[in-house]
Amino acid sequence: MSKILEQLATAIIEGDIDNTPKLVQKALDEGLEPLSILNDGMVMGMNEVGRRFKAGEMFVPEVLMSAEAMQAGLKILRPLLVSSGAKLLGKVIMATVQGDLHDIGKNLVGMMCEGAGFEVIDLGFDVPAERIVQAVKEHKPDIVGLSALLTTTMRQMAYTIKALEEAGLRDKVKVMVGGAPVDAEFAKKIGADGYGSNAAAGAELAKKLVGAA
Amino acid sequence: MRTNYRVNSGTRFHVFSKDQLEQLFWDTLHILEYTGLDVHHEEAREILKKAGAWVDGIRVRLPSYMVRKALSMAPRSFTLWARDGDPKKNIHIGPGRAYFGPGPTCPNFIDPYTLERRPYVKGDAELVAKVVDALPNIDFCESLGSISDVHVDLSALYEFAYMFPNTSKPIVAWSFRWDDSEAIHKIAITEAGGQEAFERRPNYVHYCEPVSPLVSTFEALDKLIFAARHRVPLVFTPCPIAGATAPCTLAGLIAQAAAESWMGLTLAQTIAPGLPFFMGGVTSILDMQTMIFSYGAPELALAECGLTELAHYAGIPLWNTGGCTDSKTLDEQAAIEGSFSVMAAALCGGDLTHDVGYTESAMTGSLFQLCMMDEAIGWSRRVTRGIEVNEETLAVEVIKSVGPNGHYLRHPHTRKFFKTEFWYPTLCDRHNYEEWSAAGSLPMRERVIAKVREILETHTPPPIKKETRDVIEKVLADAEARVKSTDTKKK
Ligand code: B12
Repeated sequence: MSKILEQLATAIIEGDIDNTPKLVQKALDEGLEPLSILNDGMVMGMNEVGRRFKAGEMFVPEVLMSAEAMQAGLKILRPLLVSSGAKLLGKVIMATVQGDLHDIGKNLVGMMCEGAGFEVIDLGFDVPAERIVQAVKEHKPDIVGLSALLTTTMRQMAYTIKALEEAGLRDKVKVMVGGAPVDAEFAKKIGADGYGSNAAAGAELAKKLVGAA
Repeated sequence: MRTNYRVNSGTRFHVFSKDQLEQLFWDTLHILEYTGLDVHHEEAREILKKAGAWVDGIRVRLPSYMVRKALSMAPRSFTLWARDGDPKKNIHIGPGRAYFGPGPTCPNFIDPYTLERRPYVKGDAELVAKVVDALPNIDFCESLGSISDVHVDLSALYEFAYMFPNTSKPIVAWSFRWDDSEAIHKIAITEAGGQEAFERRPNYVHYCEPVSPLVSTFEALDKLIFAARHRVPLVFTPCPIAGATAPCTLAGLIAQAAAESWMGLTLAQTIAPGLPFFMGGVTSILDMQTMIFSYGAPELALAECGLTELAHYAGIPLWNTGGCTDSKTLDEQAAIEGSFSVMAAALCGGDLTHDVGYTESAMTGSLFQLCMMDEAIGWSRRVTRGIEVNEETLAVEVIKSVGPNGHYLRHPHTRKFFKTEFWYPTLCDRHNYEEWSAAGSLPMRERVIAKVREILETHTPPPIKKETRDVIEKVLADAEARVKSTDTKKK
């Protein structure tokens, strides 16, 4: 690995939001390929972050800083990658379903997906199915992530999936679900494509759903 | 004659100095005055504006005099009444007292017979109320679960309807909206003997929750307005998560929780001056490794103690949290976490301490945890009662009369005090090894399970009046008809 890519990986691990874009620019100036900068530098760093988090060596706020650094770097790389026709991880829409005000879990999943390299659009909480359908039409995401923390609002996830079906959008997006009372069995029952028990699992799942892991 | 002699009549414990409390108090008022809260309830905003609040769109800022006036109107001391008038079951809120009870609305329940973790169902609310009624150190009732096998909009009402006949201890009720609040209220006032009788002797408390950070939701305030207009004592309790929906530092967590509570307080006192009001909070941390909101963390207990001191400094009681755990089962972790937070709550005198019996970070209610904590509360209460010091308890004359080499076993002084000076466990085993093994070598866990089952099989709660039973039937039938008609309208 070239020195600059190593530095970039370190900047991601350290959550260095200021330096990461500078290093990306420097790498581009040195003539490195955008895709290599992403995969051999930034993603390497993020993989190490994932390993350390799992091992209990890194903590949530540190992981979120790394995710932010990742996004800061991607801001420069994304247009270049798009124009070069490289396949990007894609877009995730996150929402806490209608009637539910619990949003911290959903925020964490969104931020972890950003760390994985996704572009994330957060629709907030108490989001009705129609608004999610609307947002899917508008943003054409690869994944819709739904969160519910109440047994009473879990059914909204089913309604949302139905609404996507009725709008003819269901086969255009993958749907992942989560939240404290949700489990894999429920996810299957309502026809979701996957369930994640925590934010890190959510990001892993998202990668799997777009065929990147 | 004794002179200039100071007495501690209980065990003392303080988190904050007076200077720190003053700073916390005024900084909380600063938050309310300069940052304010988003208040998602038009009528609430109008009421507050008329009373002097600054309203910009949905943002409401309270000049500090408003909050101080509200604090001065809310009582520090009042009684919550047992529905059957049993004086042993009344709760006398006031300085130097701490009461305990379960929490609400867990999705899961530990089945007391199969020991499985399963969804909470109708009959469970009856079981919980019965056990609450029987346990001597559990003082008020909540359900430990939300009923999964009734129409989703009616789970709060069914919960109350099933608990009310099964305990005469005061209940802390929650609801979704105005209509189920109304139905619950109807049940309670029927038993009390009408609205006026209820106002003099309230037998339940209403519970609502704002959203952290700094949001008063429509639902929370609508329920608050209902309670205030019907003079139902109120619990207004945010659930700020340190490091996620509140500052990571406990002082900031406490100040934000207080600010969120005092917006509710100011509205409630404006509508109903003198209404009993518990400020709240479940104040704990986001575990930065597992991303769990922890119910077993020392920071929960410590922040609750700090918040309690702030509440008491401000002159109102606190809705405290303790006796809960992150453990998934009835084990040593559950015992450690639950007991320490119970002890902390007892020491600081947090007025109503709820969530006793929560396991799995509030996801699963457990009668076993509740029952085990009853013992921990008894233990803690013995400690907080402290050591009485006077001529008789110092017993200099008794020591003299027994002298070297004597014994106290038959001394009248021992006979006089052994029952009150010592606490007697009902679950902790103090037999010797032979006795313990002869009785089956039962670990704590088995003894707890046996005690819960025995209560369920033998305890008969005091009955409710015939007219209350009729009202319960009627409000449930009305509610079923109501949801049926809205459901068909939706289709
Ligand atoms: C904080 C909290 C609140 C706050 C929320 C504020 C906020 N800004 O979010 C407030 C005080 C507003 C609140 C209100 C209520 N709450 Co609440 N609340 C909680 C509490 C204590 C913690 C939730 C939390 O934030 N955890 C931390 C986060 C990080 O975890 P998480 O959300 O589970 O998310 C993680 C995973 O689930 C997963 N995940 C989440 N979403 C997604 C999505 C995807 C796609 C994926 C892959 C993964 C994923 O990843 C996350 C990170 O690892 C829980 C208890 C609990 N153990 O969950 C109760 C709890 C969820 N609440 C409950 C209840 C009942 C209520 C109320 C009805 C209270 C009442 N009785 O009036 C109201 C309802 C309001 C509403 N309409 O939504 C119950 C639910 C029970 C049930 N039967 O469903 C619980 C279990 C507590 C209890 N025992 O009473 N609550």
